[in-house]
This record gives sequence, structure tokens and C-alpha cells, in this order.
Amino acid sequence: MGRGRNRLGSAGHHLRLYFLLLRAQARSQGVYRTSFALDALATALITATEFAAFALVLPRFGGLGGWTLGEVALLYGLAELGFVLMDLLFGGFDAPNLSAQIRSGSFSTLLLRPAPLPVQVLGSDFALRRFPRALLAAGILAYGMTQSGVVWTAWGLGLLAGSILGLIAFFGGLFVVGGTLTFWTVESVEAMNVVTYGGRSLISYPMDIYGEWLRRAFTYLLPAAFLSYFPVLHLLGRPLPDGLPGWAAYLAPMAGPLVLGAAALLWRVGVRHYQGTGS
Amino acid sequence: MNTVRAAASPSSRGGPAGTAALYAVTARLGFRRQFAYPQAALWGLITNFFFGALRIAVLLALFGTRPTGPGTPVAGWTASDAVTYVGLTQIFIGAFSLFGWTDFMRAVHRGEVVTDLLRPTPLLPFWAAQDAGRAAGQFVVRGLPMLVLFVLVWAARLPAQPLLTLFSVVLAWACGFAFRFLVNCAAFWSPDAVGIGRFAWAVQGLGCGFLMPLAFFPAWVGAALAWTPFPAMLNTVVTLWLGQKTGAAAWAALAGQLGWTLGLLALCALALARGLRRLEVAGG
Repeated sequence: MGRGRNRLGSAGHHLRLYFLLLRAQARSQGVYRTSFALDALATALITATEFAAFALVLPRFGGLGGWTLGEVALLYGLAELGFVLMDLLFGGFDAPNLSAQIRSGSFSTLLLRPAPLPVQVLGSDFALRRFPRALLAAGILAYGMTQSGVVWTAWGLGLLAGSILGLIAFFGGLFVVGGTLTFWTVESVEAMNVVTYGGRSLISYPMDIYGEWLRRAFTYLLPAAFLSYFPVLHLLGRPLPDGLPGWAAYLAPMAGPLVLGAAALLWRVGVRHYQGTGS
Repeated sequence: MNTVRAAASPSSRGGPAGTAALYAVTARLGFRRQFAYPQAALWGLITNFFFGALRIAVLLALFGTRPTGPGTPVAGWTASDAVTYVGLTQIFIGAFSLFGWTDFMRAVHRGEVVTDLLRPTPLLPFWAAQDAGRAAGQFVVRGLPMLVLFVLVWAARLPAQPLLTLFSVVLAWACGFAFRFLVNCAAFWSPDAVGIGRFAWAVQGLGCGFLMPLAFFPAWVGAALAWTPFPAMLNTVVTLWLGQKTGAAAWAALAGQLGWTLGLLALCALALARGLRRLEVAGG
């Protein structure tokens, strides 16, 4: 009983610590206001131009493999929102960030501090400039929700929310894997971009447009399809591929944490292996 | 370093041939630097190829075809044109720095630009030579293997009019360089130049036809972009490569690229003269 209370107490402590770290970063980023505003708008503009390019081109073709703009917006907004929110939370684990910390030796100082390592890494790259991009993603998702002709029920909204949480955990797990790989090698982590940023691009469009092997790899090897494509198919009242039952769409909130959990195990191995750069 | 000094010595004699030799060495060093990290280049190639495959899937789905069927042209484009177009965007990402370029900005912010001012050559041609070498190196390291991959895997087509396309590629690099350099000059006035840069690269990505072929956009977008230098930085290369503009129209397109390049370079020279006058470097 006492032990349980201790755990609860320390979890609360860690959460307080995490928010302290976030506040410190938010304060430092607010110092140069113009710079911050420009950066924030430019970050959102990258998403805006990408989606605008697609939306401007679509009318000429009538649709994307039987999907309207509203239906694609549902997929695109979901993937983008999940990814940006993940980036806000897990940015510290992204391979370039972590490998820079390892090379400079500042990662070794994190190990000396009397606070859990994951909490420190989680709180090390809270980039407020990603908020406008998240807002834009939410806007695209909202547009998709109103234009796709889906009648929204509590179940449907719950599925959407679960899907976002699943996406955050899923891509967060991939970031943790990429970050962990930097303990062994600084060079080859660029390949992780294929599954992280590439995965984000991949699930932004209906996955039946890809070759069979690519769709299968991102369904059964990496369960990305379960996280956005299947829930959206289900919401639109379309059957899932490969004869999968409709309830498979509800696996999203589980598939994500599964990946994150596996990544956490790898992280523990990596930290134990870590020896520092000697700098 | 020895090669630099050896080649720099003729320029101290002051002849135009010596100056040309100095730029050639500068370009060659910029070229050679691109071969320093072969493993990073390989991973970059794999990543770019993967993204190319995704973009091809989206465009082919828009055409409503699979890789085997030709389909009907849209806005004068066949599905095969679209595949070749994606190949071109992926080939030139590195050479044209389509994801952005902040080298000069950094030199200004760190005060390293002072070293440039000590050189016996004017600053703008020096950086142009360096970037020309960098672009050529990127084209060899990333562009050519990508071209081979796209031809083998996707049956991307080779240029319909090689010589004109080559001119266009050089001009597209020059125009893009002038634009990038101009944006980097913002560093003289603002510590926020990185944010300004991000803005500029996002607009360039849409305007030059990197995100989608400009021909697919509604007419009003194309008409608006015709007043900007952005199409000269990639789209013109695409239209000449695919043979959509030939003869007089092709030469007119090249003239347009040249015009924008000269205009932007003039603006660069102006911004540079103004910027250097207000430059203050913290001395050590």
C-alpha cells in the first residue's frame, strides 16, 4: 500500500518536473517575439503549401482513386495532427536532436541529474512554434469531418480521438527507436526518416494507391494502416482491405502504445549500452 | 589548401585569367566537399527515392491508372510525363537546394563573412562559384544515381532536347542561387533570418512546381506565378525536359530564366552593398 502511494507520489513528482521543463523552454522561446512568430508561421506554411498543392490540383482530376477532397482531408488532417502533436511531445527523441546531444556530451550530464532520463529527454525539445501547424492540421481535419458526409456519433468521435492518441504513441515509438539507434551509430539513423516522416506522408493518402507490398509492409510489419487508414475507412462505411473485419479499425488505440512499449524496451537496452563520447 | 594557394597566386598577378582560375578552384573545392560523406549520401538517396515512389503513387492514382496503363492526358500531361516529373524533382533537390540553404546567412551571423571580405575577389561571384561547385557535386552524388534509378525502375524518360535542357538546368541553378542568396542577405538586417528563410523555401516549393506540376494548378494560379521568378527555378527545366516547349517557345523560356537570374543577381548586389555597409562584427 505504502509502496503504491510512493509510486503515485513519484509519478506526480515526475509530471511536475516535466511541466517545469516545458515552462522553462516556453519562456526562453518567448524572448524573441518576432522571430518566434515568423518561425511559427513558416512551420505551418510548409503544411499549408503541401496540402494546398494537392487541393488545387484535385479538381482537374475529379478525385484520388475514388476519394473526394473532403475524404482525403480526413486522412491527411488526422495523420498531420497526430504527427505534429507527437513532435511536440517526443521531439527530444528525434535522432538529430539526440545525436547532437550525444556528440556534444550534454547527454552525459542528463545521466548525472537526479531525475528520470526519459522525463528529461521528453522535456528537452518542446518547440512552441509547432502550435500553429497543429492548429492548421486540426483545421484540415475539421474540414474533412464536415465535407466527407460522415454522420458523427459519439462512437465515431471516440474512434477519431483514439486514432489520434494511437498515432502519437506510434510515431513517438518510432522517434524513440531512431533516438536509441544513435547510441550505436550516428550515421545510419537517416534511414529512420523513411518510416517516420515517410510514414507520415504515406498514411496521409488512401493506402490502396500504393503497391500491394508497400501497403502490406505498413499494415502488418509496421501497423501504421491500423492507426489512420482503417479508422477512416470504417468511418466512411467502407470495407477494410484483406478481408479484415470492421472492428479491426478499433485497434488503433492499442497498436500505437504497443509500438511505443517495444521502443521503450529498446531504449532501456540502449541506455545501458551507452558509454558517452568522452568529450 | 596548397591547391588554393597555388591557384591563387596567378590572380595576385591581376589578370582576368587568374581571376577565372581562382573561381575554378573555388568551384572545384565546393564540388569535392560533396563527396566527404558517402554513407550519408547513400541514405539520402534511399530516402529521396522512397518519397519519390510515394509521390508517383499519388500522381498515378490521380490519373486513375496503374503503372502499366498510359491513361488519357491531363492538361497536356500523360501519366508517363508525371512519373518523369517526379524523377526530376527528386534529382534536383540537392543541386538546387530545394529544401533551403542557409550557408551565407550563417557566415553573416557568425561574423565569418569578414574572412570573405579579406579575399581578393568580390563576394557575390565567390559564393556563386562555391555554390556552383556544390550544386555540381550534389548532382553527381545524388542526382545522377537518382536519374538511373528512375529510368530503370519507373521508365522515366531522358530529356527530349538535351542541349536546351542543359542550358535550362544551369539557368535554373543560377536563378535559384540568386534567390537563395537574396533571402540569406536578410541576415544583415535581422537575427530572424532563419524564419524568413523557412517562409521563402515554403513559397518556392509551391511556386517552382516542386510540390505539384504547375500545369495542373487552376489557370489563375499559373497566371499569378508567371509574374514571379519561381517557375524559372524548376518548372522551366521540366517543360523543356518533357519536350512540352520546343523551338521558339523553348528559347523564350530560357530567355525568361536568364532575365529573372540577372534581375535577382542585381538585387543581390544591391542588398550586399547595403548590408555590408551596416555590418558590424564583434571583434576578438
